[in-house]
Amino acid sequence: MAATRNRQLRTIGFHTGASFLSAIWFLPIALILIISLRSTNDVLANGLNALPHSFAPGNYSSAWTGGGMEHALINSAIVAVPGVAITLLLGSMAAFALSRYEIPFRRTLILVMLGGNLLPPQILLVPVAKLSQVFGIYDTFTTLIAVEIGFGLGFYVFVLQGFMRSIPTEIQQAALLDGAGPIQIYWRIVLPLARPALAALGALAFTWIFNDLLWPITVLITESKMPVTPALLTLQGQFVSYWNVIAAGSVIAAIPTVAVFLRFQRHFISGLNLGAVK
Amino acid sequence: MSSLETSRRGFLTGVGALGAAAALGGCATATTSGSSAQQGGAVTLQSDLSSPLAEKAMQALIAAYSKQSKYTVNLNTVAATTYQPLLPTYLTSANPPDIYTWYAGSDANHYAARGLLLDVSSVWNSSAMNKYPAALKSLSTDAAGQQIFVPTDYYWWGVFYRKSQFAKWGLSAPTTWAEFLQVCQTIKSKGVIPIGLGAGTGTAWVASAWFDYLDIRLNGAQYHRDLLAGKHSFTDPQVADVFTAWKQVLPYFDPNGTAVTWQEASNQLIQGQSGMLLTGTFFADAVPAGSLDDLDFFKFPVIDPSVPDAEEAPTDGLFASSRTHNADAVMDFMTWMTTPAAQNLWTATSSGTVIPANPLAKSPATPLVEKGKAMLAAASELTQFFNRDSTDALQNTANTALIDFIQNPGKLNSILATWQSQAEQVWKSA
Amino acid sequence: MTVASTQALPSGSATGTPRAQRRTRGPRRRFRPFGPSPALIAFVLVPLLVESVAVFWPAIQGFYISLTHWDGVNPPTFTGLGNYRQMFSDPVFRKALENTAIWLVLFGTVSAAGGLGCALFLQRERRGISIYRAALFLPVVFSLTATALMWQTLYQPNGMVNGLLSSIGLGGWQHAWLANPSTALYAQIVPALWREIGYVMVLYLAGLKGIDPVLYEAAKVDGASAWQQFRNVTLPQLRSVNAVVLSVIVIDSLRSFDVVWALTQGGPYNSSQLLSTYMYQTAFVNTDYGYGCALAVVIFVLAFGVIVSYLIRAFKETD
Repeated sequence: MAATRNRQLRTIGFHTGASFLSAIWFLPIALILIISLRSTNDVLANGLNALPHSFAPGNYSSAWTGGGMEHALINSAIVAVPGVAITLLLGSMAAFALSRYEIPFRRTLILVMLGGNLLPPQILLVPVAKLSQVFGIYDTFTTLIAVEIGFGLGFYVFVLQGFMRSIPTEIQQAALLDGAGPIQIYWRIVLPLARPALAALGALAFTWIFNDLLWPITVLITESKMPVTPALLTLQGQFVSYWNVIAAGSVIAAIPTVAVFLRFQRHFISGLNLGAVK
Repeated sequence: MSSLETSRRGFLTGVGALGAAAALGGCATATTSGSSAQQGGAVTLQSDLSSPLAEKAMQALIAAYSKQSKYTVNLNTVAATTYQPLLPTYLTSANPPDIYTWYAGSDANHYAARGLLLDVSSVWNSSAMNKYPAALKSLSTDAAGQQIFVPTDYYWWGVFYRKSQFAKWGLSAPTTWAEFLQVCQTIKSKGVIPIGLGAGTGTAWVASAWFDYLDIRLNGAQYHRDLLAGKHSFTDPQVADVFTAWKQVLPYFDPNGTAVTWQEASNQLIQGQSGMLLTGTFFADAVPAGSLDDLDFFKFPVIDPSVPDAEEAPTDGLFASSRTHNADAVMDFMTWMTTPAAQNLWTATSSGTVIPANPLAKSPATPLVEKGKAMLAAASELTQFFNRDSTDALQNTANTALIDFIQNPGKLNSILATWQSQAEQVWKSA
Repeated sequence: MTVASTQALPSGSATGTPRAQRRTRGPRRRFRPFGPSPALIAFVLVPLLVESVAVFWPAIQGFYISLTHWDGVNPPTFTGLGNYRQMFSDPVFRKALENTAIWLVLFGTVSAAGGLGCALFLQRERRGISIYRAALFLPVVFSLTATALMWQTLYQPNGMVNGLLSSIGLGGWQHAWLANPSTALYAQIVPALWREIGYVMVLYLAGLKGIDPVLYEAAKVDGASAWQQFRNVTLPQLRSVNAVVLSVIVIDSLRSFDVVWALTQGGPYNSSQLLSTYMYQTAFVNTDYGYGCALAVVIFVLAFGVIVSYLIRAFKETD
């Protein structure tokens, strides 16, 4: 029937269009992957645009060891894992108290904390750098983790309190009747219920801390402490004009967040939209 | 109701106490007395020698030093393009790195004048350094008469080319400006870019080499130094002459010369995509091994035979922060770095194209180095390079002006006027 | 770094009702037998303390430093509004301001329109839809630095962009994208857009999903064309999402620091200088901390309107 054929054509048309769009979007990544596998001689002799004449996975090991990517990824983990854990802990604590109890100035507190996340970081760069020097904690992971936590906290509190508000009070009532105090209610009841939100925010938080450039370059000086995102710039400076190695380095730097994204894809997307559709 | 009131009041008190504590806490602008975490202990060497070969050589040096010393030196290599803008931040931070690779000249003196550099005169009094030429010592001395710099090596600039290419084209190295123009013309007719540049983002300073050399050849080294010190103006007719000569060769420059880095320009030369490149020997650390075999250089062509020959011979070395917490370790390391043993090790592990500062050390015995050394020895005067003879701030004004000129040679007059006003700001605040 | 979440506008009664009444109504009864317990106070104060130490306290210092002249080594000298006066005669500041405005407008409109377009195109749940969506969303998970370096390779004079242009016969359009002052800024907006469109798309996808299909049915019954449906049903329903997208875009424009710092650091000669890169350069490269903080205050002022409007919306939603 004409209607079915019409629909079929439209479907084909859609898929063609969507595939084309996706292909264009993926093209830069594909090109970089290709370059990352070409040998230096190939790139120098035949230029960037030529079809590959070589296969040189050795670029990845150049970036990994010589370019410091391995070390930088470890640094990123040192910063991101505690950063995410503590952020979620503190954020859920505050969200719990502010969403389920009549704390004075509840709303103001939530907004104040959220406002701290909305501040442009530029206003904080110089003071944080100099303050950490005054206290002798400049160029330490502690400072970087503390800053990442402090800066992001407000947003997570805001989102989590919105989520926790929707947990029915009957559950809390029941626990209270059993004689549970707030800490137990938090730990045993509300936190497990908030797990989807926590997973979503955890995936987001990991990505943001992992991909952060500004704070590491402000608070750290020692190259060997740099997480992977600023370390990429060092790699670029080291391997100037060796586009194949730089490409390999960029791929290595992107893998962890892509892995988190693929693994937590649902959570990731839902995190971005938490509360968007009630 | 009342319970809410008390709880609210209690809450406010808590917040108020927090605020008071914060106010009593330190202020970001408090300057520390310099007594930082540990007295003694390991020292940090902040190094901008980030080219692959150079970094390896530095690591070898540190390893060799550790074997014979009780002090520990930790190497921290920073990409060269990041190092230069951050050097002031390193030096002014509360717990600065102890030792730095950098250059001699008014650049270092500028930091010394701000009290940021350690007095290393005692290193100069050591036995290792008493064979150093007087010229190097005066280069390392600041305005107050103290030595604040320890040279480790120096190198030269020249117009590099591939021997096989020149042979193929039937060319020989030009010595005069007219010959040079002819060589450019011949190379162009062969379909190859005659002159590479490499003054792209991050390495715009290489363009200053052309300015320096044209100025030195036309107006002499003394005029050049005085110009950089603010005693002449960039709007002088002598400076205009520099650009008139430059305009003669500009058509032979790589049209993408201001879009690629010097590392790429070096590789283009080696790959045969360009014919000649005015560069310092530092490029050798960044190109694939074995590329040097086909390379040769000639000194920048003479334009005016009546002007005495001067050459650029940048001197690299070390200085230290005046607020280091282990001056003994710093001095010990710097002394060791000046010994022939250390300098020979550097020569052996790097690309081997620099000349050790210590006359007792063995220079690399390659023909290239012999030729370079001879060229420098025959020069009547040695300059350092634009930023080393002035300041990093003035270098930035030069980058802007020269890149603009290369891209828009017709705007020369307004470019020079802007350059002069920006330079005046730099000279005023120096 | 900030991601906004849209929350459906609270239904009628919540806003504006006097507190006493609300307390006894609805499922939102709170339990506070004797006022908040010490544990709860700690639950609130500890995170608040962390954020105060890491954010609010330095922010106040930042404002103070902007009123001084400070080189980081010697004690600061108070200059009042001197740094701000300096801005008026600073040509680089004007260029940075202009570029930031250009970035905001171009980046903002294209990512909003592009994100909405992609969301509309990919909104129906079909077979394979998640692959297409993932392809567009993938750049969001890369760091902007990695994205910038990828595009740097593509933008080389002998790189892919120029190669592609010449292969489709547009050789005359080739440029030294990052080295040419007239193209540097715009060339850097492209990778930022490449990333942002996927992000905005996801926000709009959620918003579109929340539109009641009954509204479309009603419009179709009235004989509305696709375009009219879009104008009269979709757009109005997306109003709250638009507000979120706006705040996200403005705040993400500030994150453009990463892209420009990785590629040109504001060059060639300040042609792609943004307020964020100029601030960083002034403070940490030129060690002119006072002026740098003043620039930061300007950035804050520019973002202030967005911050306040976002907070107001959030205020309405938190109760």
